[in-house]
Amino acid sequence: MNANALIAVMVILPIASALFLNLLHKKDRTIKILAIITAIVIPIIPLLTPYGSHFFGGYVPLAQNATLAQGLPSLITGTQLFQFHPGVMYVFTSAQQLMVFVLGLITFFAIFTFLNETKRPSGVYAFLMFMGTASVSAILLSDDIFNIFVFFEIAALAQVGIIVASGIKNNYETALKYILLGNIAGPLLLLGIVILLGVTGNVNVTDMIFTFKQGYVDPNSPVILMALALIAFGWLYASGLPPFHTIKSAVYSKALPHGAALLQAFSVFTLVAIGIIILRLFSYNPFTNIAIIGISVIAMILGITMAIVQTDYKRILGYLAVGELGYIGIGLGLGTAFGITAGLFQAVNEAIITSFLFIGFGTVLYKTRTSNTRKLGGMMYVNPKVALLVLLAGLAMAGVPPLNAFQSKLMLIQAAIQSGLPELGIIMILLSIVTFMTFMKAFYTIYMRPKPKELEILDNKIPRSTVISLVALLIICIILGLFPQIATNSLQTLAAGLV
Amino acid sequence: MSFYDIILKRIRKIQEKAEEEEPITNVTASAMLTAELTLIASVLVAVVMVRLIHPVLMIIMIAAVLIIALMAMPIMPRLRREQNDDLNNMMFYVVVALGIIVALFYWGNLNV
Amino acid sequence: MVVDSQLMSFFTAGSLVVIGIFAALFLDNLIKKIIGLAFLADGVNLFIITMGYKPGGIVYIFLPDMVVSNFAQTASYPLPFALVLTNIVIGASTLAVILGLVIILNKRHGSLSASKILRDKGE
Repeated sequence: MNANALIAVMVILPIASALFLNLLHKKDRTIKILAIITAIVIPIIPLLTPYGSHFFGGYVPLAQNATLAQGLPSLITGTQLFQFHPGVMYVFTSAQQLMVFVLGLITFFAIFTFLNETKRPSGVYAFLMFMGTASVSAILLSDDIFNIFVFFEIAALAQVGIIVASGIKNNYETALKYILLGNIAGPLLLLGIVILLGVTGNVNVTDMIFTFKQGYVDPNSPVILMALALIAFGWLYASGLPPFHTIKSAVYSKALPHGAALLQAFSVFTLVAIGIIILRLFSYNPFTNIAIIGISVIAMILGITMAIVQTDYKRILGYLAVGELGYIGIGLGLGTAFGITAGLFQAVNEAIITSFLFIGFGTVLYKTRTSNTRKLGGMMYVNPKVALLVLLAGLAMAGVPPLNAFQSKLMLIQAAIQSGLPELGIIMILLSIVTFMTFMKAFYTIYMRPKPKELEILDNKIPRSTVISLVALLIICIILGLFPQIATNSLQTLAAGLV
Repeated sequence: MSFYDIILKRIRKIQEKAEEEEPITNVTASAMLTAELTLIASVLVAVVMVRLIHPVLMIIMIAAVLIIALMAMPIMPRLRREQNDDLNNMMFYVVVALGIIVALFYWGNLNV
Repeated sequence: MVVDSQLMSFFTAGSLVVIGIFAALFLDNLIKKIIGLAFLADGVNLFIITMGYKPGGIVYIFLPDMVVSNFAQTASYPLPFALVLTNIVIGASTLAVILGLVIILNKRHGSLSASKILRDKGE
């Protein structure tokens, strides 16, 4: 039987560990050990898992299960029902391997810094982080669109929990806003999914495409266009593209730095996963690509221009993170194999770089307890090493060689020119420059200008684990920048399959 | 008075009205100006893509965008005020976006 | 006049969704907003149930004395009902979290007005 159990473990292990951590209240040592072990194991599993698919409950398609198919009436065996997937199916290929691995790595760094920056680590907070990781891994792996919806809701709840746990001023308000907006987007996404279910009789993406291709359903019928629009709307919420960019950046700014690092990774990978599903289902419709490109350009422009005018550095980073999502969207929207590879590669890079930035700037919050750039200054003298690391992270985000985003942004611009849209390339270059300028403005006000008199710098030392995390993330950035084929080779197959 | 000064003055004027509690420094005013120029530049470049539909339409749209941008010059302070953290405001834009997306997918496909 | 019950059910679901979006957008009281969102979720649930309805259909449980081909033709489709159950559970837990947050905010601000509690704080 074709059931690869390790694929399911990628989702089940974080959930099981999360539930267990939730029970351990006030047992600090046990929490630390269990959390760190789980965080180490999560990125290792995808490396060990062979490619393939996992059928939950062993419900393989009848075509693959000769014993069950025996003695069934011709009503079933004589029709296409024979091919359909009766259960939830997870698909694991090289692209999923890379993305789940990177997500696991970011979870590891987030947990690692959290455990060392917090004096009494809370099991509930670790529970929320692992729960989010599990749901986003499931969204990446699942081939069942309703399963994606369920994990989409769990991820939203975990994100709300991470914001509530931060203890930053006004975090409850932001959490409530986020979940209220989610309660508009969630049901509408479900409506889109069930319209597809009603028309095709399936929730499995492969089977839906099969019914479209075989001509059982007219893919241009208004009902399916409505479903496409509703799913696209849910996708905007999950990934934080406009009109959800304001709330998403507020969410990042109300989480603790390690939480924000993880939250943006969730957004990036949800954007990629649901974006891939939309492309798989609806790429026959040329308007899908136009819409994805349009919304991405709006996200880039609004995100980056809003970042310039902010004064809270976490909000600046939040808006920059949203703006960078636009690059991924453009890659997906171009619709060529090269463009999609570039978009996926940019997604991997952005998840790493933005976590790097959030954790790096988090040291400022750790030392000063403020995130308002007006009150900050002179942090360079406090800790020059961390300042250098943060500067490198900013260079990486702007796409300076030899760091990783340079490779992916270059690929994106090449893909845009190849597709006959050089304007997109110009916009991307322009906004990269402005991104760098915005970053430098924040960097200058925090690190380089003279220290304001009223700024108090706490005496607590930045934990070594934070510095280790930053250096490790920098090394990953350099490796991917020098050898981009490590990532692009894994992503190519998926991208080629989408065209 | 140069063009730069006129824009800067207008930005400050609008900002004074909008955010009385926040101090207006050179940094915030110049940040606003940068955002303004970025916005106009990238929108103009994006509008060039209309050439794929029809070149004449592109020229008309670029002219329209330029005129609108010059007429309503400090757009960014207003845009910033629109994209605030008020729930009712966000909810409004979310529902408007839902309407636009559904309408575009429906008619966009029938006419492309 | 014979009214198609399935069609009417679709209309009810549609109006629940519209009422829900209206309430979420225009009502200021947070509890009313949340009730509106519950309407929206219930509208979608009703939509799914209605979709699974099959006129003249039978329950999708295969009993020993049934003929397979007859069962396959008359049984209604079970998947929508499974989805509805899952969605009700998700909706209930989300609602619990929202109400919990509202309780805390109400204690802090002494108000339930969305335009007071959830306005822009300028940061």
